[in-house]
Amino acid sequence: MKKALKIIIFVICLGASSSGLLVALNNYTSPLIAKNEELKLKSSVLEALNIEYESVKVEQVFDNNVKVVSKDGLIFYRYQDKAIAFQFSGAGLWGPIKGIVSIDSSLNKISNIKILKQEETPGLGGRITEESFLNQFKGKSFRPSLIFVKGPAAKDNEIDSITGATGTSKALEDLLNKTISEYVAVLER
Amino acid sequence: MPKKQPKRNIMHTKWFKTLSAGLWLDNPIFCMVLGICSALAITNKVANALAMGAGVTFCLIFSSLFISLLRNLIPPRVRILTYMVVIATFVICVDNFLKAFFPPLSEALGPYVGLIITNCIIMGRCEAYAVKNTVFYSVLDALGCGLGYSLVLIFMAIVRESMAFGTILEFRIMPGWWQDWVMMAVAPGAFFLLGVYLWILRTLAKKTEQ
Repeated sequence: MKKALKIIIFVICLGASSSGLLVALNNYTSPLIAKNEELKLKSSVLEALNIEYESVKVEQVFDNNVKVVSKDGLIFYRYQDKAIAFQFSGAGLWGPIKGIVSIDSSLNKISNIKILKQEETPGLGGRITEESFLNQFKGKSFRPSLIFVKGPAAKDNEIDSITGATGTSKALEDLLNKTISEYVAVLER
Repeated sequence: MPKKQPKRNIMHTKWFKTLSAGLWLDNPIFCMVLGICSALAITNKVANALAMGAGVTFCLIFSSLFISLLRNLIPPRVRILTYMVVIATFVICVDNFLKAFFPPLSEALGPYVGLIITNCIIMGRCEAYAVKNTVFYSVLDALGCGLGYSLVLIFMAIVRESMAFGTILEFRIMPGWWQDWVMMAVAPGAFFLLGVYLWILRTLAKKTEQ
């Protein structure tokens, strides 16, 4: 009985001290983490809109150039009359994929894409963050829809998908098409 | 005239033996065959292997340190639970710390940091060594095992990255005609490579089933 009590007390103390430590750490770091995420979002929007910036002046450049517009509950980032960016997020193969896509003001072509967050297979699906993959979206038409193909992309709306990452490619293709059509429909109204 | 033998050769000191065991004869990967999941999963790029090796070594050292400090307090029946709580606490600390102060590094590591919790080398060293030994030797043992693990990971990653992507640390090393082996980028390729490594290293270390 005494032994059991000792074990229970030990486990409670251990649990309390480790959770206390983690709560304290979390309280201390969560504003910093939130700040980092906001900076990351803003710098990605700037990159997606092709606005040059220095890494120390992200917020200043963002405030000067980008207008945040809310329409029908959707958030758009406008850069003068040149381009419009918005966030996309949804399920990938393993975890959520989040990113920013920008389209030109004629609402026909993609001007840039950035990935903010992904948890795909490293070296396979994870390569969606690589420049060489993302650069091919520039100037691609999303009408009627984007199509990811195996082998070299021939048409205006085709993207060369990543070998060995069929699941991720399919998920990203659906996600982009769904998000773009939803946001563009709101913009066209 | 033979040189005068020093009183205690460095090779025979306890601290050297403890440290070198993890690096060579008792290497966690090719001798204990622990931590294989991560060795298969993240060795497709050298940068990933380096980051994982550093993360595991760090958590291993601190978990061993704490388990060794608490070893006379931990009731034997709940020792495994204690390891889990201590290891998880450290891993979450590392994860939070990286997110707050080194966001680019945290991004590069992605979900791997959280997965360190499930690395059985850490739990294995706590149970097999830290819970029975003094703090100094526990930390040495953890350091040896962590480095041994990292080294095997890096050697695997060098072969895999060069064959699967033609690069090492994103630096192109293969000639232009080289056709990338997609097989080496995925886990099955790692299985073959790990098998070959086990064979070579165990032969060299003369580790065979008696």
